[in-house]
Parts: sequence; structure tokens; C-alpha cells
Amino acid sequence: MDNPEIMIQPLFQLGPVDITTTVITTWGIMGIIWLFAWLVTRRLNVDNPGRLQSAVEGIVSVIEQAVADAAPQHARQIMPLVGSLWLFLVIANLCGLIPGVHSPTRDLSATAALAILVFLSTHWYGIRIQGIRNYLRHYLSPSPILLPFHLISEVTRTVALAVRLFGNIMSLEMAALLILLVAGFLAPVPILMLHIIEALVQAYIFGMLALIYVAGGIQSQQSRLQPEQSPLSEGQGDSDD
Amino acid sequence: MELSWSTFLLEIINFLVLIWILKHFLYKPVLAVIAKRQEGVEKTLGEAKALHDDADKLKQQYEARLEHWQQERQQARDALNRELDTERSQKLSALRNTLEQEREKVRVAESRRQADAQRKVEESALAQGARFAGKLLAQVACPETEKRLVELTINELEQLPPERLAAFFTHNGASSDIITVVSAYPLAELQRQQLQQALSHNGWTATLQFQQDPTLLAGLHITMGAWVLAANLRDELRGFSELTHHEQ
Repeated sequence: MDNPEIMIQPLFQLGPVDITTTVITTWGIMGIIWLFAWLVTRRLNVDNPGRLQSAVEGIVSVIEQAVADAAPQHARQIMPLVGSLWLFLVIANLCGLIPGVHSPTRDLSATAALAILVFLSTHWYGIRIQGIRNYLRHYLSPSPILLPFHLISEVTRTVALAVRLFGNIMSLEMAALLILLVAGFLAPVPILMLHIIEALVQAYIFGMLALIYVAGGIQSQQSRLQPEQSPLSEGQGDSDD
Repeated sequence: MELSWSTFLLEIINFLVLIWILKHFLYKPVLAVIAKRQEGVEKTLGEAKALHDDADKLKQQYEARLEHWQQERQQARDALNRELDTERSQKLSALRNTLEQEREKVRVAESRRQADAQRKVEESALAQGARFAGKLLAQVACPETEKRLVELTINELEQLPPERLAAFFTHNGASSDIITVVSAYPLAELQRQQLQQALSHNGWTATLQFQQDPTLLAGLHITMGAWVLAANLRDELRGFSELTHHEQ
């Protein structure tokens, strides 16, 4: 189990901080995203957009519309978090297809970091938008007896969020590695195609669950006052795995 | 499956930085462009809606104006029809009067033409009758006829009042001394004496001068100063012919 293909080994250390391949790959992805965004947005044309600009505008519009469908009043606040999750996870999940590059999301540390960020963002947006009293009150509804279950749900769904993504991506890379070892060159190509689909699906699931958690935290108080205006409040508990 | 805390913390920091990068280098400019385009589209739609509203307003104005024009046209047409009816009736009345006058003129002209034609026929008949009578009397004229005419003349002169007879011989206050008596045939002495006696009055004795003119056919032609006493066939026929002219 000490195989570097499976285990995450630190490449070097910066003082007490270990720099692993996950961090290096993440930096690379961040650099690519930053370079792409800079190249695309330096010559934006309002009246006559090019194909690349149209595609980027379409992606951003779809993300914004998806966030607006879940939280129509706070779409502009939530959209950077959810959109960044989708874009980063798509690239991070797919970069495992490149020979010699490992997906950052096969590292539990990375997925746990993202899940913790979603957990913190849920409370951050909820408290910021509703106030701490109104936000904390939803843990006592519909009855204070359910408070422990709410707390357990908060922990378990965060853990599930991290482990789901880690397990799927890790298993895909390991399966491809095992098939490559057993069957040889070109044999894991079908598995790699499955890897593409699974990478996109897992990115979508992670981002959508994050969106639902954050939107649920924002609208939990509002949904009690106006239950008919908050369709996401019902699916919040069901989304936990 | 170990959890590396350094990786965990670095990934948190990395993702926060990534959010910042995407927000400032992708989301904000792209959303600004979309918003700007949306604003332009809404502005264009607003202008189109304003144009559409203006067009609707103009259309309503034009329709109202067109309806007003149609009403005015109908009123003008009605007024014109009334004027035409009035003018037509006046023209027809004037035409009827003119026709009646023309008809009256034609009728008068026709009656005048018929009168002229009748007068001409009568003149022609009288002329023919005079010619016929003249030819007939020229053939039948004879001393006997003249004798009868002389006797008739003498009787007439004898029946005249004396003052009337005296007036024949007075011209401008002076009495004529010589009386010319022209006959177609030579008068007998007795006839001459009877004439002188008939022409004498109030003791005044006339001086008769006898002459002969066969164109008289028969009878006498007596000249007394300014007066002429025609008692012969020629003058009677001439008088008969002239009488027709005088009657007309």
C-alpha cells in the first residue's frame, strides 16, 4: 500500500507544511483557470461576442440560472462558491485522465477541505442573511427534540460529501490502475470513458448538494414562514446520504 | 486514506483563492458583459415598445382623422347633392320657360308666316282678279258704259250738299276757276251741260274743260283744283288693286 500511485506522498516541505502532489496539482489547476479566465475576459465584446466568449457566457449563465432556481433572492452571493466548486471539480476530476497526473479529489484531505468549506459556507450565509437567532432557531423546529438529529445530520452530510467524492474518484483511478497492471496497454480505455462520465456526475452532485445545503440554510427560516415558496426545504433532509 | 492536515489547510486556502480568482477574473466581467447586453436588449425592447406605442397612437390618430374625413366627405357630398338638386330644378324651370318662350315665338312666327302667305295669295288673287277685270272691262267698255257712269256721277254730285261741293272748288281759301273733265269717249252736249249744272253751286258757274283719254276705258276723270274725282273704270280698277295694299 506504499505505492505512490495509490498513496499520497509529500514531494517536499515548506517548513512544517508538507507539499503533496494534490497541492501541486491544485495549484496547476488554479493557474490554468486563472490564465484561461484572463485570456477570455481581456477582450470581451458586448455587441459581437466570439465563439469562446459565447461558450463562457453560456457556462456562467447556466451556473447562475441553476443557483437562481435554488435561491432566487441570493443567487449573486452563492454563485461564486457553487460555480467555483463545479468548475474546479470538473477539471480536478478529469485531470486524472492525463498520464502521470493524479486527480486532487482522490485525496481525502482535498475533498474534506471542500466539504468543510461547504459546511462553513452553509452557516456563514445562513447567519449573514437571516441573523444568528433566526438561523439557529431552525435547529429547534419543528420540535426541540429533533435538535440532536439536526446536529448529527450536519456532521454526517459533510462527511458523506467528502467521502463520496473521494471514494468515487479514488476507486476509478485504482480500477484503471489495476486493469492496466493485469490486462496491459489500452485495456483500461473503457474504464477511462467511464471515468469521464463519473467525473462529470460527481462534480455535478457535489456542487448541487453544496448549493442545496447553502440554499437550505438561507431559506430554512423563510420556508417556515412561507413554506409554499421554498421547494428546497423538503429535499434538504433527503439529500443526506 | 490518511488525512494530511497541511494538505487539508492548503486546499482550503487554495479553494478560497480560486473563488477569488474566478469571481474577479471570470464571473464579474462576464456577468457585467451579460448585464450590459441585457441592458442594451431591454433598452432596444423599450425603444421598440415606445415605437410600437407611438405607432399605435399614430394609427389611432390616423383612424380618427380618417373617420373625421369620411364624415366631412359625406357631409360635403350631401351638401353638393342638395346644391345639385336645387340647381337642377332651377335649370329645368328656366329651360321650361325658355322652351315655352321659343314655342310661343315659333307659334307667332308660324301664324305670321301663314298670314303673309295668305296675304300674298290674296294679293295675287286680287291682282289676277284686277287684271282679269281690267281685260274683261276693256273688252266690254263702250260709250253706253260711259254714259251710265256719267249719269251715275251726275247723280252723286247732285246729291252732295252745296257746302260740300263748294269745298271741292276751294283750295287754300281760293276757288278754282277751271275744272278739267277727261272722258274715254267724247261726251254729248247734253252730258256736258248736265255736268256743268251739277258742278255749279250757290250761283257759281263752273268752267269746264273737256279732254279725251281712252285709257280710262269708260267714265270720267274730273280735276277740281286739289281735288280729283275719279269715276272711270281705269281708276276704279286701280283703286281696287290699291285697296288690298291699304287693307294690309
